[in-house]
Amino acid sequence: MLNDKKTRTLADHEALELHEALNFKTLCLAKSKLMQGLVFDQELRALMEKDVQMNIQAITDLQRIYSEAKFASEIPEFRPTPILN
Amino acid sequence: MESNQADPIRMDALDPANSLNMPEMTDMTLATDFLVRAKEGVRNAAVALTEAVSPEARTLLKYQLKQGIQLHREIAELMVRKNWFHPYELEEQFKLDGLSAVNTVEIAKQKLFPDPANRKGMFDRTPDEPKGGPPA
Repeated sequence: MLNDKKTRTLADHEALELHEALNFKTLCLAKSKLMQGLVFDQELRALMEKDVQMNIQAITDLQRIYSEAKFASEIPEFRPTPILN
Repeated sequence: MESNQADPIRMDALDPANSLNMPEMTDMTLATDFLVRAKEGVRNAAVALTEAVSPEARTLLKYQLKQGIQLHREIAELMVRKNWFHPYELEEQFKLDGLSAVNTVEIAKQKLFPDPANRKGMFDRTPDEPKGGPPA
């Protein structure tokens, strides 16, 4: 059975899945938020807003577990090195 | 107005005739995207679950899987109610598939954005920094 020591950090293959899940949720959040400005149907818009709220929660939960990955490091407040250019 | 479009009679960005039913078509397209994303989310969560061992990760993924299934059902029901999606009337669905595809291809043929489409402008440096300074 799994002991405490082993469950402290995530296995690499788990961390990979969480990386993918987190990025998927982030992209879905962006899309559901932005598309609310384009839809006409108010019911559809309400459902998208519900998705936004669920995604925010999902991202918080995923980040909490993802932070137990072996390669977890402190997330800086600002972009530390240029990504553009 | 000068037009260099391949088929200016059928599709012209400025022709008000093309705005007919545009809200419904927009909603149908965006709802379809939403449905596909929900579906993808369910599949992703299920696949992730088969890779997860830690109890916390499994619990969270299971929760998100159930939530995703529920969301998918809600979107599908809404789309069926609004006649944007026809899971039983396949001929209707076939017509919608064709119309969406043709309309989208026609929109894609148009020139929608101005030629220098680089909007970086004031975003390419930190505020108040003179041009030619270190990259932001």
